[in-house]
Amino acid sequence: MTTTAIKVNGVSFAYGDTQAVDDISFEVATGETLGFLGPNGAGKSTTIKMLTGLITPDSGSITVLGMPMDTDAIDIQARIGVCFEEKNLYANMTAKENLVFYSRLFGIKGFDAMPLLRRVDLVDRADDRVSSFSKGMRQRLMMARCLVNQPDVLFLDEPTDGLDPVSSQAIRAVIQEESARGAAVLLTTHDMLEADKLSNRVAFINEGKLLVLDTPENLKLEHGQRAVRVRSRAGDQVSETVIPLDEAGAGDRIKDAVGAGGLMTIHTEEATLEDIFIKFAGRALDT
Amino acid sequence: MTATTPRASRAGIVAAIIRKDFTAFTRDWFFVVISIIGLVFFALIFWLLPNTVDETITIGVTGPGIGEFLEQSTTGSDGIAVKLYSSEDALTTAVEKGDDGVAVGLAFPPDFVESMAARQPTTVSVLVTAEVPGELRDAMDSLVREIAYALAGDTLPVTELSQNEYVLGTDRSGDQVSLREKMRPLMAFVVLVIEMMTLAALIAAEIQQRTVTAIVTTPARVSDFLTAKVIAGTLLAFVQAVILLIAIRSLGANAPLMVTIVLLGALMVTAFALIAGSYGRDFISVVFWSMLFLIPLMIPAFAVLFPGTASSWVKAIPSYGLINAIVGTTSYGDGWAEALPNLAMVAAWTVVAYVIGLSILKRKVEAL
Repeated sequence: MTTTAIKVNGVSFAYGDTQAVDDISFEVATGETLGFLGPNGAGKSTTIKMLTGLITPDSGSITVLGMPMDTDAIDIQARIGVCFEEKNLYANMTAKENLVFYSRLFGIKGFDAMPLLRRVDLVDRADDRVSSFSKGMRQRLMMARCLVNQPDVLFLDEPTDGLDPVSSQAIRAVIQEESARGAAVLLTTHDMLEADKLSNRVAFINEGKLLVLDTPENLKLEHGQRAVRVRSRAGDQVSETVIPLDEAGAGDRIKDAVGAGGLMTIHTEEATLEDIFIKFAGRALDT
Repeated sequence: MTATTPRASRAGIVAAIIRKDFTAFTRDWFFVVISIIGLVFFALIFWLLPNTVDETITIGVTGPGIGEFLEQSTTGSDGIAVKLYSSEDALTTAVEKGDDGVAVGLAFPPDFVESMAARQPTTVSVLVTAEVPGELRDAMDSLVREIAYALAGDTLPVTELSQNEYVLGTDRSGDQVSLREKMRPLMAFVVLVIEMMTLAALIAAEIQQRTVTAIVTTPARVSDFLTAKVIAGTLLAFVQAVILLIAIRSLGANAPLMVTIVLLGALMVTAFALIAGSYGRDFISVVFWSMLFLIPLMIPAFAVLFPGTASSWVKAIPSYGLINAIVGTTSYGDGWAEALPNLAMVAAWTVVAYVIGLSILKRKVEAL
């Protein structure tokens, strides 16, 4: 049975005159992964700060696991895990010491760090200082740290940013396992492919406003263009025809293109989340 | 989903952060080495310094009959020794080189006694080096005049007045303090301020690496973080200062009072460390901000080394009461009653420093 894990209702926050988050509302269910997508400065990190109790919204309300953030922040924080974009680990302490320290902040008695370190493939480096770790290893340890209290809600801020494919894959696997366990996951990322793969739903945020929120499939179907791209050769000339599938007579046009002879390749194309983001925001993610 | 989540008590959270801070401290070889070397070095310096005070002024004299007269006059009196020289040249050389500890030379002309008896004007040379203070030069002028009166057979021009001397405050006259004693408060204070830099660096690292953000998204509050920093910083400074005081045998008979003074001092430097740590962006800026507090705070400790050099504004420096209390307790055997005004002053300054330090650090943490 799924229930609402995160409920955000009309939340706004401004840094002085700059409106960082402007009247956003959304919900995340237990076991659901919500991809929170937007360019730098869009308001993603500010939203996570409000959802984790680091800052208080100027207006609106936040409820996590049925508890209002403005009155029950400590109880909420006991049941969430936060993985920051900055690798804010204690570099002079070992991987194990970092996890044990956090377990003490949650009041966990007899905490064993090894199972978590095994999950992120760091068990061999348990007693090494974090200062000797690569970026990927630090990020995996960050991931392990946010699981110390077996959280019901996970906030992951760019968890695979700049990582090698092996580390990225390891982190994605953990996210999927946590989601399958029943944890609600709010994932911010620049990586549209990652969001597409991991998220049940995605939300686009730009200039503090929530532009759209839906499943990747629905967004692509409703807002993207599906097409068939046919390449054929006639003598020395190579021609390419793009046939939008949503237009009338698309089937006949495909039949004609394929039957014309000299067929080289046929590709089906569907819109990417990146295309849809540009359509909504009028800008690409990395601008 | 987790049905119930264990919950750490506030004390448990604070203890966890303190434990982590001590681990971080012991893992930073720079601060560990600085602390150990500091303790050993200061203790060594202390025991190598002279523990005696020689307040005797040796006066070199030349001139027929005058030296013997002076020797007779000063026999049995403390503070003045007379050394006779055969010629003015020999006396000049002795004063210049400081031979036999001669600080001042009085060169009387060969006909001095006859001239005085005949009431004829004559000249006496007072030889001093540049280091001799003005007060001593004036005293020598007076001494020459008195000798002249005595040799001329005159009495003083007026009947000698009876005088009553009233010393306001604690009379330290005659309680001469050796250089080793003078160094005692300086040593204790230096250890405290070294730990101020250590704590400032630890705080700056938490802010710059944003590890504090990770802490405050757990059930730990900002107030738990601040409490842990205050306790860890105070303990670091206090324990090391006490170790040094034991090493230089400064706890003495009034150990509870000394421990109280040092504890207050540790609390005070921790408050300044909160401010320095909040503004420090890296090691260099932490040192800069620490120095900004360290140098003014050290002034009263140096003033003890050079009595009479401190202006009245020195009393307004937060560490003045602390240094005064350490000096009074270790060098003059002061008790609680004498130390109380100083301790009250330190406590007041400490409260002010904490209000400022904690509010700055709290704002820094919340703005991350």
